[in-house]
Amino acid sequence: MELEKFMESYKPLMAIPIIITIIAVALLAFNGLNQGIDLKGGTIADLQLQKPIDQAQLDALISNGLGINEVDIKSIDASKATVEMGESVDVIQFSGVINGTATLQSFRTVGPVLSAAALTQIYWALAIAFLFMSITVFIIFRNLVPSLAVIMAALSNILIALGGMSLFGIPISMASVGALLLLIGYSVDTDILLTTRVLKRKEGTVTNRAIDAMKTGLTMSGTAIGAMAALYIVTVFFIPSAQTLADIAAVLIIGLVADILATWFLNLGILRWYLERGRR
Amino acid sequence: MVPESWNTQMVPGAWSQMNKITEFLKDYRIILLIVFIIGSLAAISFLGIDQGLDLRGGSIIQIHLEKPVDADTMNVVTSVLDKRLNTFGVKDIKVRSSGDQDVIVEIAGVKPDEVENIVGTPGKFEVKIQNQTALTGADIVSVKPYQITGTEWEVPFTVSVSGAEKFAQVAQGKAGVPVDMYLDDKLVSSPELGEGLANGVPSTDVVVTGSEATREDAETEAKNIQAVLQSGALPVSVEIVGISSVSAELGDQFKTGALIAGILALIVVSLIVFLKYKNPILVLPIIFTSLAELIMILGIAAVINQNIDLAAIAGIIAAIGTGVDDQIIITDEILKGDKKKKSRRKAGFKVRMKGAFFIVYASAATLIAAMLPLAYVGFSRGYTGIGILSGFAFTTIIGVLVGIFITRPAYAKFIEKFVATD
Repeated sequence: MELEKFMESYKPLMAIPIIITIIAVALLAFNGLNQGIDLKGGTIADLQLQKPIDQAQLDALISNGLGINEVDIKSIDASKATVEMGESVDVIQFSGVINGTATLQSFRTVGPVLSAAALTQIYWALAIAFLFMSITVFIIFRNLVPSLAVIMAALSNILIALGGMSLFGIPISMASVGALLLLIGYSVDTDILLTTRVLKRKEGTVTNRAIDAMKTGLTMSGTAIGAMAALYIVTVFFIPSAQTLADIAAVLIIGLVADILATWFLNLGILRWYLERGRR
Repeated sequence: MVPESWNTQMVPGAWSQMNKITEFLKDYRIILLIVFIIGSLAAISFLGIDQGLDLRGGSIIQIHLEKPVDADTMNVVTSVLDKRLNTFGVKDIKVRSSGDQDVIVEIAGVKPDEVENIVGTPGKFEVKIQNQTALTGADIVSVKPYQITGTEWEVPFTVSVSGAEKFAQVAQGKAGVPVDMYLDDKLVSSPELGEGLANGVPSTDVVVTGSEATREDAETEAKNIQAVLQSGALPVSVEIVGISSVSAELGDQFKTGALIAGILALIVVSLIVFLKYKNPILVLPIIFTSLAELIMILGIAAVINQNIDLAAIAGIIAAIGTGVDDQIIITDEILKGDKKKKSRRKAGFKVRMKGAFFIVYASAATLIAAMLPLAYVGFSRGYTGIGILSGFAFTTIIGVLVGIFITRPAYAKFIEKFVATD
């Protein structure tokens, strides 16, 4: 069977997720992450347009009216527009400026105090979630190397997801952090499936068991990616104002694709290397 | 390729099929599932679901105090803010403290641009006697607890020295004249000026008194005056650091969008499962389980008064998604066994199911572990900072628990009865 031969050469395959992880880290280091307004402070508003206006006109109206430079028209069509402003804006002043042109559908402003606190909370939440997940994995397997393999795969997975966010310009915000936290807990599911099947089952060769696990795992990833793609498409086309939901879906799609590589190349690779050494 | 499972569910005769269904429905796991679904439906219809402000329209205002304060001071701050908002006639306001330095105000049904009008302007408190300003909020140093004697009430408070002088000047010789108290230019109370305060001698200790028809009325009025005085005298200075506001129309769009996304996601997942197993009988429980979990998560949320907001909906989708994954794990484990060990099928079934549930429980444990920090922040700090995701953590954890304790065992029974070979 072709697949079996392919899987036997696990050592070069391990390099794939490792190289992608390194690229992701490099992207993070050099390209960085966009910050959502939760983190950098600022204002985002959804407008219901009362008369047609083009992007440049709306931009000029707001920046002149408020006397600020950083105005970014995120999206605009005949009836709706989403505007992001670089600083915390007074809502009364803002609705005065757009009066006659548009009405406010949603308004969100975050001052510097709040944004500074948010960043610290995000780092803590991610770190503690990862720690708790790791402890849980150790308790489940009570076996050092296989547990470390799962944790390494999860780490690679999260880093690739962050790299993807950097690449596609998805901002780090409360919403995308939610997606990352979910990914920490959820992406190890396939790793647990793999480790359990390979270590605890007795029938067949390691490769057979791994391929069986992989068939199940890929179906799982397929349904999850399919569901998230549906969420992404609906958000983008029907409720563009719920950008946060689209961001969650996008982060999860990147993460779930990364999970396929991390689980079936990296985690499986470490596991086989461990089993072969143990046999010798 | 012929799917291995196809022939396994061929059942000789409709009669034995009927028997199977009856046996299936009598299993304690199925009864538990049905009881929970009915209970949840009842909870949803009688208690209702608390929708988050982003779904029904409303605003969340985050107020930051200049310095951390103790619990008593925090209580004063929240009750003063609550009072101030209530004088505007806004209904459905929640003012909550979050930690020792933040206050969160939730207002339902107010348009985004009306919000800052209400909260943004610092409460302007003025005391006027015959239209002459005698005191302002800045003059009030502290407000002491009110006292009731029979139907008479009094609220003592202290003012600054400069305030005392100004008041004495204005009040001189005006005993019996009403003292008009204004909060943000609205007249809130006009007790009469006592003789002791009309003699022109400045005093920093001032008492407002009055009498009402009943003791209850006196108490209400005293409370009211006390809050009004305090509203001019927030113990610390506060600042609005964030506003998040959604109109009711947009909230409706979010709900419709989430519903469409949910249905579409369910169709996509069902299609993938159908294409993979080529067995329609496996698609049924996936759709049923997804709906059952949705109902149970909402039912539990209704019982414990958890808000369902956009983040919570994302959590429901996540929980249902892991549920589908678990069902795939269980199905594969059982079908694979059927294919390989035809001779030792019966003995192997329990072992295989145990193996599948080991993976299911372990996956649930890691997901809950990763969600705990978020749930903790939401629980202890409320809707501030990362706490806005607490709904997400809550629905994910509840969904996973409902899954491993109720729907997964029921699915396992389903597989045992209708998919695995006898």
